Amino acid sequence: MLEHLNTDPTPPNRVVILGREGFVASTLAATLEAAGINHLALGHAEHDLTTADAGEQLAAALEETDTLVFVSAIAPSRDAAAMATNMRMVDSVAQAVSTRPVSHLVNISSDAVYEDAAHLVHEGLAPAPGSPHGAMHLAREILLSGAMKGAGVPLAHLRPSLLYGTADPHNGYGPNRFRRQAQAGETITLFGEGEEKRDHVAVEDVAALISQVIQHRSTGILNIATGTSRSFRECAELAVEIAGKGSVSGTPRQNPITHRHFDVTARLKAFPAFSFIDFDEGFRKSFNRVDS
Amino acid sequence: MTSTDTLPVIGFAGMTHLGLNSAVGMAEKGFDVVCFDPDATLIGQLETGEMPVLEPDLPELASKNKDRITYASDLSVLERCDVLYVAPDVPVTDDGVSDLTDLDALLEKVIPAIRKDAVLVNLSQVPPGFTRARTRPGLNMFYQVETLIFGRAIERALHPERYIIGCPDPDAPLPDAFRTCLEAYDCPILPMRYESAELCKISINCCLVASISVANTLSELCEGIGADWSEIAPALKLDRRIGQYSYLSPGLGIGGSNLIRDLITVTRFAEETGSDASVIAAWIRNSAYRKEWALRTLHERVLSTMDDPLVAVLGLSYKENTHSTKNSPAFAMIENLHPYRVKAFDPVVKTSAAPHPVPIDAADPLDCAKGADVVCIMTPWDDFKSIDPAKLADVMAGKWVLDPYRVLDAKACTKAGLSYLTLGVSDA
Repeated sequence: MLEHLNTDPTPPNRVVILGREGFVASTLAATLEAAGINHLALGHAEHDLTTADAGEQLAAALEETDTLVFVSAIAPSRDAAAMATNMRMVDSVAQAVSTRPVSHLVNISSDAVYEDAAHLVHEGLAPAPGSPHGAMHLAREILLSGAMKGAGVPLAHLRPSLLYGTADPHNGYGPNRFRRQAQAGETITLFGEGEEKRDHVAVEDVAALISQVIQHRSTGILNIATGTSRSFRECAELAVEIAGKGSVSGTPRQNPITHRHFDVTARLKAFPAFSFIDFDEGFRKSFNRVDS
Repeated sequence: MTSTDTLPVIGFAGMTHLGLNSAVGMAEKGFDVVCFDPDATLIGQLETGEMPVLEPDLPELASKNKDRITYASDLSVLERCDVLYVAPDVPVTDDGVSDLTDLDALLEKVIPAIRKDAVLVNLSQVPPGFTRARTRPGLNMFYQVETLIFGRAIERALHPERYIIGCPDPDAPLPDAFRTCLEAYDCPILPMRYESAELCKISINCCLVASISVANTLSELCEGIGADWSEIAPALKLDRRIGQYSYLSPGLGIGGSNLIRDLITVTRFAEETGSDASVIAAWIRNSAYRKEWALRTLHERVLSTMDDPLVAVLGLSYKENTHSTKNSPAFAMIENLHPYRVKAFDPVVKTSAAPHPVPIDAADPLDCAKGADVVCIMTPWDDFKSIDPAKLADVMAGKWVLDPYRVLDAKACTKAGLSYLTLGVSDA
């Protein structure tokens, strides 16, 4: 589902990252820095994408040879106010790039655009978000696709699965919360027995794949997932094992069990030489970084 | 009839896979056969016994019946025919749609050349509505469903299960010459209206796809839960409602382009008529998914675990006993292995045709496996069945064997120290 406009990876003149304060953006900046790729990370202080003239201001900061990575969002987007803010942000980006077309736009979306019950997810699956957060990302994709088509700017939508990593500020149900709870010696409380399986992706891998998409000037849609799903209980028990403290406890199940697996064929075709960090290894590393 | 005995003269226009095999089959049944193609070079090759397609028994039967077969590129020869089959292969575009341009052009060429009392039979597969749209006053036109199978074309031509005939009036008797020709095969003849016959062919293929999709879906489940599809399929075949000849062998999606073409035709007509064909879309998706089994497994087990692996591919054609590589699972895999070293061998397809920047050629299967970290048997050629797993293990650098069609014996591979992976069962 991705098409590479650059057959061989070629760094752009400059990568402009919107959302500097964020977990993904900061990791991407570090990845690009390590690869020697010129980049500029912009944050809320320089470009508040919710202001009336944000599009105009951003356009003035862009060059036609730039690759723009849009990763700014109020996340998770749970209510109408957050939705409105996120829509205002995407409108600013669309206005800016329509005014000053760039070489390439990479939009960081989410696998929340798919139906919650979708169990084997692939890029050809019709989006059917079951949450305001998913609806927000899908709406942003649609708006950007329309605007970039008009502006003639190549566009990639990347849909990461659940992320984990040391610097993740979110503390939702999953590896990050489990790590913090285990390190604090607390009991990790599971929904039911934690049977649900999910595909957890290290933020470093997400950044590395975004870097590949940038260098190949890829267009289309790509899910970012490892292809291996594991249960929340497995994650929790691994957290306790790594921390050497804490415990895992189940609770009476309130909701039906749903699993999510990914068909990663499109990624294997787009980036055949790319390998993900093994979850056990990546999860352990996230502990080490906190410890150090 | 113009022939010297009581049998009609049967003509075939379009000497590609379908026309040529059907013509030779008809000659074997004792009919005088006229083989017409506008390509004089092709006709010249056929006259010397050079067959442009690979099919078991085709050269032998063509040679055996050469006195009954007339090859010609001159339209005037069609004057001899009591029945003329128009049978060029219909190419399928990359989007899975039939390209009927050549068929239409051939029809326009031959119709003026046949006698007024001759019967014209279109044998090429066409979408519903095609035949009726080509009828014209004074033309005695029929549509006959073909059931050619690549690699078994002669067998199918000689031993049809039934004849499905699209007619201008299903209640009217078939013309004598045409009926004589069909009755030579001693099988049921089913006249029906044009549209029914056209959709009948598609219906047959949909039933085949349904079986294939069941096998592919359930065999993947076997891989996940420790069952073995090869133990289950025989039980299904003994169920009369399913049948011993049902397509229950798991494969890498739906092979060939014709089945997919028919599924796309159904979805197109369903869109036009407002009927529900969502199950068809699911079959197409499942086929695309299972077709990539080898690529996914290769990445999971080998490519992501070692540096600079050498991948050996045995078999490049889309199935055994054919030179066709259209929709070849091997090609689909290899074109996504550009960063890796790939060595290949096929009994008839040249390695240089493989979609890889620098495919490494091999002289034979063991030469192909020499030094490889993984061997992928992507076409179930008989030639590969005789590979000794012990010798394979000796020449390989690694231990992995991907054998989706179970060409090799799993236990023998395991005994030889190989890690054997196939469809429909978890790791051996």
